[in-house]
Amino acid sequence: MPLEGLRGKKALVTGAASGIGDAVRKRLEREGVQVFATDIHQTGDLIVADLTDADQIEKLAAKVGTPDFVINVAGGPVAPSRSNTLPAMPSQSLVLEDIDPLQFAAVIAANLTSAFLVCKEFAPRMKARKSGRIVNFASIAARRGSDRVGVHYAAAKGGVIALTKTLALELGPFGIAVNAIAPGFIATPRIEQSAWGRSSPEAHRAFLDAIPLGRAGKPDDIAGVVAMLCSEAGGYVSGATIDVNGGLYFGP
Amino acid sequence: MKTAVVTGAAKPESIGHEVAVRLQKEGMQVVVLDLYEEGFSSLPGCRCIRCDVSDPSAIESAFASLKELHVLVNCVGGSWEITKDDLRAGPRRGFRGLTNCSLDDWNTIRGANLDSVFYCCRAAAPLLRKQGGAVVNVSSVAARKGIPPGAEGSSGPYAVAKAGVMGLTRQLALELGSAGVRVNCVAPGVIASGRLKKVQAVTAKGAGPEGPLKQIPMGRVGTVAETAALIVALCSDDTAYLTGVTIDVNGASYAA
Repeated sequence: MPLEGLRGKKALVTGAASGIGDAVRKRLEREGVQVFATDIHQTGDLIVADLTDADQIEKLAAKVGTPDFVINVAGGPVAPSRSNTLPAMPSQSLVLEDIDPLQFAAVIAANLTSAFLVCKEFAPRMKARKSGRIVNFASIAARRGSDRVGVHYAAAKGGVIALTKTLALELGPFGIAVNAIAPGFIATPRIEQSAWGRSSPEAHRAFLDAIPLGRAGKPDDIAGVVAMLCSEAGGYVSGATIDVNGGLYFGP
Repeated sequence: MKTAVVTGAAKPESIGHEVAVRLQKEGMQVVVLDLYEEGFSSLPGCRCIRCDVSDPSAIESAFASLKELHVLVNCVGGSWEITKDDLRAGPRRGFRGLTNCSLDDWNTIRGANLDSVFYCCRAAAPLLRKQGGAVVNVSSVAARKGIPPGAEGSSGPYAVAKAGVMGLTRQLALELGSAGVRVNCVAPGVIASGRLKKVQAVTAKGAGPEGPLKQIPMGRVGTVAETAALIVALCSDDTAYLTGVTIDVNGASYAA
């Protein structure tokens, strides 16, 4: 079923080198949206930017101008660095003892500070135009807690939800809707390469059987919800966190 | 051709009406269940059945006439104009909370808003299980935050029944997930429907059924079109990995 209100619009998609960000970029482009795609990881024609650095975001903004949609996908349980822009996922659950203060700060920066800095750069431009949509990325780890990704990632994504609610109140009077998507288990290339849920075929089956829809999510499953939120269907949705997890967690 | 059932679609300028029109435009056979027969002529091409959705036997016979079903949208609801006797009555004046409503109010409002969804989902489940499909229930921001004392046009029993709809959505998502049936919910805030116009015609300017309109951060009420578009999106593959969730559509007036 077609989505109205996307064709001819302009979007910024961060974290667009692979996985969910890549799927969001391609989906919006199929809908006729002009997409400015960025990542810290040099890939194809993407604009390279470290979103924990306000100066680099300012340079990014000089190229992008004023987008109609800002989609903050960038982030992950392991913070990238300039020397390792696409770090592997940890092979096992992270507990408190595994996380040193530097890692904690880096994961908060990659997931929460980046969203703050991108919004701080682009929201004032959208305010002047009195319209726009911002979609931030939270995680099921923040919604129900996680026995795997570690407190740094869960706390950062919890921060993203609070940032989303607060910006919805702040930017609502300017016609800007701000929402978050909280993905569950999505089979991105990085997740597939890790051992998550795959210690044995039986464990993998049990892991998927615990999901009411009986399967892992696909990056396109998330991209569809982003497209929905940017379309006519998302016009009055603001301050919401949408749980996209196959029924694994229903929300508060 | 895919088949959809939409309840509460016959009133003009209602969310259900717009959902029925949009699903039909997508090429679906749309069956409308409603008491408001005058509205049937505004849905050409839909199969309209006069039906009291709070009556389980009426629901059973309506669904018995269906050979297949892919989509069910439960839009019927409200605190007034929900029975055959008050179908054109307009909003009742005054605040109706849980402590001052009549037992009749409680039963009637719960019947139209919660029991109806239960009956329709039960009747639809065997048909939906055959090939998978989508159910969308309509709850309300009232379920999230309650109705403030003094507000007119809504009611305490309505807020409670709509909270029940969210719970029903979760339970059915678990029961139907393995059959490929997704069950989701939308919780609208104040929407510029025909019903809101009727409330505003009798209440103070700026008053809304869920509290003062100026408290909505987005500075406006929602439109029927954007709410219907959201419901239709919940029936489409764009939301193929969503089930059991409630999407709040309230202009940032309540973040769950």
